[in-house]
Amino acid sequence: MDEKMYAYKCTACGKLHHPKHYVCKKCGSRTFEAVPLEGEVTLLTYTKVYNLPEGYMKPYLYFGIVEFKNGLTVSGQLEVSDPIIGMKLISSVGVIKEGTNSDHYGFIFK
Amino acid sequence: MREVGIVGIGHTKFGKMSGGSFTDMLCMAAVEALDDAGVKTVDGQHGIDQVFVATMGAGILNKQSGIASGLVDTLNLRPAMAETIENGPASGASAIKLGYMAIASGMCDAVLVVGGEMMRVVSGWEGTDFVATMLHPEAEYDYGITLPTLAGMFTRLCMEKYGITEKDLAIVSVKNHENALHNPVAHLHTVPDLYSITEDEDAGIINPYVASPLRLYSVCPVSDGAAAVLLCAMDKAEKFAKKPIKIAGIGQATDTHAVAEREIPTDLLAVRLAAQRAYEMAGLKPKDIDVAELHDAFQILEIVESEEVGFFNRGEGHIAARNGETRIGGKIPINTSGGLKAKGHPLGATGVSQVVEIVKQLRGEATGRQVEGAKAGLAVNFGGFGNNVVATILTKEEE
Repeated sequence: MDEKMYAYKCTACGKLHHPKHYVCKKCGSRTFEAVPLEGEVTLLTYTKVYNLPEGYMKPYLYFGIVEFKNGLTVSGQLEVSDPIIGMKLISSVGVIKEGTNSDHYGFIFK
Repeated sequence: MREVGIVGIGHTKFGKMSGGSFTDMLCMAAVEALDDAGVKTVDGQHGIDQVFVATMGAGILNKQSGIASGLVDTLNLRPAMAETIENGPASGASAIKLGYMAIASGMCDAVLVVGGEMMRVVSGWEGTDFVATMLHPEAEYDYGITLPTLAGMFTRLCMEKYGITEKDLAIVSVKNHENALHNPVAHLHTVPDLYSITEDEDAGIINPYVASPLRLYSVCPVSDGAAAVLLCAMDKAEKFAKKPIKIAGIGQATDTHAVAEREIPTDLLAVRLAAQRAYEMAGLKPKDIDVAELHDAFQILEIVESEEVGFFNRGEGHIAARNGETRIGGKIPINTSGGLKAKGHPLGATGVSQVVEIVKQLRGEATGRQVEGAKAGLAVNFGGFGNNVVATILTKEEE
């Protein structure tokens, strides 16, 4: 299992995207290269959710939107007991949903 | 383009549908709209050229597809054209837009639009999961992110930026519950006590967090229900029993699928653009609107939408709500029907239901909640978490 997350960098103008797009939002080019998306992030907002959808055997989960140092903003799960807006976290990759045949991996910010 | 009006409206009681199928529910609303417009079928002739059915989840929740094809036959409106329309929770307004286009183009003279959703046939878990399927598959859905998750994060951002409080959300909620008391088709006919759900020592029990800082009374219920409108060419309106309410403007806009990608995360850009396009088409400005139905699936949305459609400056919608400016009798009454919060939110029905309420207001039929002298109304139907929004402006023709 590839446990890395990626940004998609336009090979023509360098604009970073996440999630994947097929046309660059800046220059309209169609070719991208995957570059690792990792490291320190800043927490922009968060929520503690009590009514999780089917398949999550937990009473609650924290979710947040963070900003990477390269300016990309993404959402993911949080493993933080007392989140505060503006706090610095480290981006990790882990199981975000257990699947029947294979698990889903994604951002978990700690 | 030909002008288009609404000559018939129908609406089932929102809440828990019992004793009937999904098709029965759609038919109840449809027949009421046909009767309201005085449509009679004589020797198989009825004058309906097209039927659009708006539903987000009948295929998943009710194991039913081809809904419009079935409905047109059940109503004996054959051989009218029929299509089912899906645009998430904005399916209803999208179907009305398509009805408008069908008539404006000259292809049709009369179009029946029926929106409906029967959601209370599955568990809360399954329902939450179903609604979340419209989110970005990899960037949101796979994480367990749901609509309340996005609304919770959006609410926190708006609170930080503009000083909105949990009590402000509760004020909007109580207002909508009070309005719903006068709407016989509303899902909820109870009014929470503002003190009890905000400041009382048991407030956290009565009004628990769903997705902090959003609490139970700042989130809409899960409802069954259907609503219908009959559209016709304004130059054919004399054939019908009711005077037409004109569709003066429709605007629609989209935004990023993944909410985290938005440049200004406290903006609802698609709401602003959809409303601007609708105003431009109608030749009206926000100050010309007398009554509005705004998509308050979460109470924060009513506040921010009231700013994005131009009723209030950015960051001042919650202050206007505190001051009673959005109550009936205020500067701009919002969600006189009870809104999604108290009237309920059967996804595919909602956009049609909002337009039904505006028609009632402009006809002067909104008993107990009438905005006196209303001549122009705005409805905002919000799909996804604001990634596909339709705004509709209706006007009353001069007597």
